[in-house]
Amino acid sequence: MDVTFRIRRFNPEIPGKNKPYWQEFHLTDVEETDRVLELMHRIKWEQDGTLTLRRACAHGVCGSDAMRINGVNRLACKVLARDVGNRIQVEPLIGLPVLKDLVVDMEPFFANYRAVMPYFINDSPVPADGRERRQSQEDREKFDDTTKCILCAACTTSCPSYWANGQYVGPAAIVQAHRFIFDSRDEGAQERLEVLGEPNGVWRCRTIYNCTPACPRGIQVTRAIGEVKLAIRSGSPEGIIEESVGPVASSNS
Amino acid sequence: MTSLVLTMTELLRYRGAIGQWSWMLHRLSGLGVVLFLTLHVIDTSWAVFYPDLYVHAIAAYQSPLFTIGEFALVAAVVYHALNGIRVAVIDNRPRLWKYQQRAAYIVLGLTVLILIPTFILMFGHVLNFYGSGAPTLSLIEVLTAQAPFVAGFAVAIIAAILFSLVFGLIAGNRKDVSVGKGTGSRLERFWWSFMRVSGVLIVPLVFGHLAMVHLIQGVFDITAANFTVVGTDLVNQTGTAVEFVAQRWNYQIFGAVAIWRLYDIALLSLAVIHGFNGLRYVLTDYTMSSPVLRRASIYLCVIGAVILLVLGAGALLGTIDQSAIEIATHAAENLHR
Ligand code: HEM
Ligand code: SF4
Ligand code: FES
Repeated sequence: MDVTFRIRRFNPEIPGKNKPYWQEFHLTDVEETDRVLELMHRIKWEQDGTLTLRRACAHGVCGSDAMRINGVNRLACKVLARDVGNRIQVEPLIGLPVLKDLVVDMEPFFANYRAVMPYFINDSPVPADGRERRQSQEDREKFDDTTKCILCAACTTSCPSYWANGQYVGPAAIVQAHRFIFDSRDEGAQERLEVLGEPNGVWRCRTIYNCTPACPRGIQVTRAIGEVKLAIRSGSPEGIIEESVGPVASSNS
Repeated sequence: MTSLVLTMTELLRYRGAIGQWSWMLHRLSGLGVVLFLTLHVIDTSWAVFYPDLYVHAIAAYQSPLFTIGEFALVAAVVYHALNGIRVAVIDNRPRLWKYQQRAAYIVLGLTVLILIPTFILMFGHVLNFYGSGAPTLSLIEVLTAQAPFVAGFAVAIIAAILFSLVFGLIAGNRKDVSVGKGTGSRLERFWWSFMRVSGVLIVPLVFGHLAMVHLIQGVFDITAANFTVVGTDLVNQTGTAVEFVAQRWNYQIFGAVAIWRLYDIALLSLAVIHGFNGLRYVLTDYTMSSPVLRRASIYLCVIGAVILLVLGAGALLGTIDQSAIEIATHAAENLHR
């Protein structure tokens, strides 16, 4: 099939291109099962070498190539031509500064990520046998869903609260905090709940649900945020999750 | 400001699911209701403080502009209430997220279902009134009567910005509001719960209020003479808006309980505090990058809420005596001269 791309472009260094503008590209011989990322490579390699985008793994693992495809945030490497039809519109994520074409500055996103202490905290002595800190399967399941995050920023930049206010910590950082807050072996829950209880923490979430379908990993993002809110309300993560997420979903959209 | 423009344009461009439209409607309906609530509390307090002005206010309510507004107001309250319940329920049970889309459609459907008979009843009152050829104020008269409100809003906004500037000069402007300071806000935690609890408490109160003065009796019957006042067994003999209010507030059950005063006090305090904290949420969302405007937003909401609570409570605890009703009768006679 033939496909027409409409791509939002921007190059701060070249006069005439230093304001965002749309550019169209046409591709022939497109297979239904081609991924949007491959098609954009074809544009870059065959038509316009200046088209700039970020990608690494090309298999939905690294989280580099989140962008807005036909209006919603997706990973270009996980969207097939047949999912989007033969008119494909591609734009950079909203709410993060655009550096060039589809490449956004992820630093504000990672600053929020770092603020929630996204690492294992446990200062008590190791168990007597000197081996692992044990955890039941049920306790492990409570945060299973949120371990899957690849930090692509699709959720955070789908959120109208984040568009309005870049100081809002955003869904992804809350998902990452959830992974540790509800880990029975971790001892940093209180500190994280304090951080997320700040005015620009979880309270900026208005339960809009744009983040959940945006997540390419099928993480139940808004649910995770809700559980963190309830943990802050009750003062501890104890007893908040009665029922874990269950069978792994590949997508919520 | 740029963040407001960005959010509005991208909201229209982002192809999110129904949730984002529910949120937009919830926000717009909440803001619309706050605006009307402000006019309405100030207007109503005049029944006690300036009876002749109250007669004019009700006359404005009985003009085409406000009639259209009344339909919009009822629609906004019904949608906001139902969607508010949806949000409050899922926020308390996050694992129900799977049903949120269906719930959002049910909210829309129920809103329409409730509005159809409601609008038919309201339309009956409208036809009766305008069909009877009763005199109404002209659009110009109605609009000029709102001018003091516009001026009042401007003064409140300027005052809030001035306070904020002065505060900034004395205490400095804290620019960094990013997370990571490590102390959660007990206040924000309280407000989050308050919005949900108060919202659910407001539902029966506001629906009862709408049913009484928009459906059963209707805005137009407030000035009908020899009409039994809704929710009481007292009669509005003069047919003035002031006597209507007086009779409602005088009515007592169990010998001494002024039921409608208590009802109105509960509705006033819950709606004002809920509404102005909601306004604070909205304004601070879009002013986060400017310390001056962010503080001003908060001051504005505090100023607004305090004024309404003081005026409203003052009126609800005040008395409407015979002389007030006489002033009103006189004002009503001169209304359409
Ligand atoms: C009728 C019952 C009502 C219910 C169940 C209800 C429920 C809610 C809920 C759950 C929120 C969300 C708060 C948040 O996201 O943190 C909210 C926000 C809001 N409400 Fe209500 N509410 C009701 C009545 C009212 C009334 C009477 C007003 C106006 C006086 C009002 C004005 C607002 C405003 C301005 C917001 C902020 C909107 C936003 O942040 O997007 N609400 N309401
Ligand atoms: S939660 Fe999902 S959408 Fe959000 S950053 Fe992680 S992987 Fe991306
Ligand atoms: S390129 Fe690694 S996730 Fe798409």
